[in-house]
Amino acid sequence: MLGMLWRLLSRRIERTQGSGRAETSSVEGRISSRLPVNRDRIKAAFGNSADLVLRDLRTGAQGKISALVVHIDGLVDKRQVAEAVIEQITDMGLKWDDPRQAYADLKARLLSASGVEEVDSLDRFITHIAGGHSGVLIDGIGKGLVCDTRGWEQRGIAEPTTEATVRGSKEGFVETLRTNTSLLRRRIMGSRLRIEEMRIGRITQTRVAIAYIAGVANDEIVQEVRNRLRRIDVDAIHESGNIEEYIEDAPFSPFPTMLRTERPDKVTGALLEGRVAVLTDGTPFVLIVPATFTMFLTSTEDYYERYFIGSVLRLLRVASFFISLTLPSLYVAVTTFHQEMLPTPLILSIAAQREGIPFPAVVEALLMEFVFETLREAGVRLPRVVGQAVSIIGALVVGDAAIRAGLASPAMVMVVAFTGIASFATPVFSLAIGVRLLRFLVTALAGAFGLFGIVAGMFALLIHLTCLRSFGVPFLEPLAPIVLSDLKDALIRAPWWALRTRPQFTGKKALTRQAPGHRPRPPSPEEKEVHHLAGKEGGK
Amino acid sequence: MSKVEGGKVSGRQLMAVLVLSRVVPITVAFPMITELQVPQDAWIASLLGTLLSVPFVLLVVRLGLKFPDKTIIEYSELLLGKYLGKLVGLILVWYWISVVADVARELGEAYTIAIMPETPILVFMTVTAFLAANAARNGLEVVGRMGENGVWVVLFFLIVMFVLPYDEMRFRNLAPVLARGVRPLAAPTGTVVSFFLQFIVLGMVLPYLNRPKDAARYSVYAVLASGILMTWLTVVLVAVFGPTVSHLAMPAFSLSRMISIADFLERIEAITMGAWTLSSEIKLALFLWASAVGLAQVFGVSRFQPLVYPLGAIAVSFGILFFESTLDLQRFLQFKNFGLYSLMVTLGTMGVLYLAALLRGRLPVGPGVRR
Repeated sequence: MLGMLWRLLSRRIERTQGSGRAETSSVEGRISSRLPVNRDRIKAAFGNSADLVLRDLRTGAQGKISALVVHIDGLVDKRQVAEAVIEQITDMGLKWDDPRQAYADLKARLLSASGVEEVDSLDRFITHIAGGHSGVLIDGIGKGLVCDTRGWEQRGIAEPTTEATVRGSKEGFVETLRTNTSLLRRRIMGSRLRIEEMRIGRITQTRVAIAYIAGVANDEIVQEVRNRLRRIDVDAIHESGNIEEYIEDAPFSPFPTMLRTERPDKVTGALLEGRVAVLTDGTPFVLIVPATFTMFLTSTEDYYERYFIGSVLRLLRVASFFISLTLPSLYVAVTTFHQEMLPTPLILSIAAQREGIPFPAVVEALLMEFVFETLREAGVRLPRVVGQAVSIIGALVVGDAAIRAGLASPAMVMVVAFTGIASFATPVFSLAIGVRLLRFLVTALAGAFGLFGIVAGMFALLIHLTCLRSFGVPFLEPLAPIVLSDLKDALIRAPWWALRTRPQFTGKKALTRQAPGHRPRPPSPEEKEVHHLAGKEGGK
Repeated sequence: MSKVEGGKVSGRQLMAVLVLSRVVPITVAFPMITELQVPQDAWIASLLGTLLSVPFVLLVVRLGLKFPDKTIIEYSELLLGKYLGKLVGLILVWYWISVVADVARELGEAYTIAIMPETPILVFMTVTAFLAANAARNGLEVVGRMGENGVWVVLFFLIVMFVLPYDEMRFRNLAPVLARGVRPLAAPTGTVVSFFLQFIVLGMVLPYLNRPKDAARYSVYAVLASGILMTWLTVVLVAVFGPTVSHLAMPAFSLSRMISIADFLERIEAITMGAWTLSSEIKLALFLWASAVGLAQVFGVSRFQPLVYPLGAIAVSFGILFFESTLDLQRFLQFKNFGLYSLMVTLGTMGVLYLAALLRGRLPVGPGVRR
């Protein structure tokens, strides 16, 4: 329904605005053989930006050859520029007086620096410089040399703040794409890890990389990711969230169909299941596709702790997912419509608590939920010093004063508080926030129709979730359709030695993950004998 | 492959949906029980009815597999010619719509009688029909997947209900066996069969099975599984309530009232009612889907989706108009009304179709027909 409205609306917008491609500014033409011309054009392209550095050098016999080194201050490693570029140019010394010879010599010398490229289009030259390379131009030559001298201030690798775990790697992604890909490479040393890079955003020229494992990832899915990314034609990409909204399957769903994480180990785990990661420069958040519902209730820890603990914790998370979705609505439904379901003493005490409260239970619930959500939102944004004050006020306002003022009953406060805690147990924020929204809807339904309302709401949700797909994979994958072999790693986690196959949909190219018979067991008497003998022989 | 519907379902999903649709008339109301003269023998009627239904289901599957990518609507046209075939198709669509109408009404009645007497019945019927139509609109694939999930929820509550009132069960109530002979069992057996005959909807689902070979197996499993559940339920009901069981309007519901878990959850009938709602929704979705696709095929409409909501609305108004009261609904579900109607429509059409197939010597008419 929302989709239809949107289509209507967007048709209107298109009509008024006219569809057009995002604007772009590029410098046409080739590099001129006259240095001053090039110099002016580069300067003009950057519009006299303050951080553009142009260094004129004179070299060659009697300083006849003039050269120009261009780079952006702050994006290059100054030491590297000095050593690998400028020193090389001046070192050419008095040898040459023909620019062509000097150029060839310089090219060979610069090769010692990492990544030298010869370009003849000025646009490409400028793009490289904007990306942190240093450019060298020599008067009389219609070509330029670009060498990789990138080096800028970056945040050190730190523990991921949104996904802390008790056990497992403490490394988190950072804002630099190359560092992030190296974090993946360090975990997958084999050569089968593929990283493809592209630039998205006409103005920002943001680097975006796709990572997958050749021979494991489903080619169709990889191609689909490539296609969808290539379709993006916008001026700017600020964060992976932008990309997510441009390429996700269900833009109107409250549920995210792409998983985002800042944990490299989570990404490698997903890659080994045949999934594809999308890394974006400038953000530590990496997208994983296709994502299924159970992935959102999974923490990497489940795989590191023993399977028993992992399974129990995962079930606990599933339970808290349902609690955070339905607890207030159940409370409202039971207290307003189905009092007979509770034991008499309990319902009496609830009724006594609600004695002086002026609202029906559903209003009370919605009100308290609203207060709680506001408090939480305030708490997230505030600086730590003020945050404490807010939590004290919150505890007082919500916990105590509201009850004393006769605005809420203690039972309701408890329900709302527990719901809040349960929603914190959902490991992925983007799912939790969808559930928070839906909770209000379900509570309203419960207030109107009691348990029937909840059932209707859940049924509608089930229809929606069953229809969702993420890059061709059903969102509820091992649960609907039921895929028996994938249930081992959905609501529970089977022991590692039982996780013999990858998920059917994403990993069908190479299903088997490990050799059979990994289940540890005490050695049989014969084996013991063999080991014993082997040991003896070794001893001799 | 007809283009009206593009989805695929697996054998397991088919089985789940069929079991759910058969579970509805034993959980919400239990028509067979209410017309019993000798409640002690209910389980015999239930078993007998189940076994008698197997050949019918096999017949539907057998005929369906002769036309591997045609729905019953399409091959009836092939077998009987254009006009007669369309007539049969319309009769079947009508039958499915009537099933939707009475399931929706039944569910609404159950809610208004037992749980929320002050809410108008139209609310329940509209909401359930709307949701079911929404599911149906998304195609068979979605209905199948939801069935696959829903069946576990429903099974869980059924088994809870079967086991927890153990204290109240008196198996003496089941004696004597066949005290008054076999004759009084005829009508209840007929009722059991008449509800199984709704499995004629298989004729719509078969062409969309991803492995048609599984069809016979899983449909028979579905019959047997739901037969076993039903028999089990009758045994428990009679054991708990004794011969008075036939006076209960909603026996399964009354049974769930007996449950008390650790003195905390006292009367969980509203929760079990939730599970029944789930099964009813999926049944409604299946039959709405079948009637929409059927109607689209009868009239040669290329998409069935636009038909779903109107058909749902029509079914809801039928549900309101057909029955004056709960009593009326109960009377309708008895053998002498719904039973005979169901027998006539389903056996009639299947008989005619099968005969036509035989007479035509399983003629390969048109493309896509396997010899």
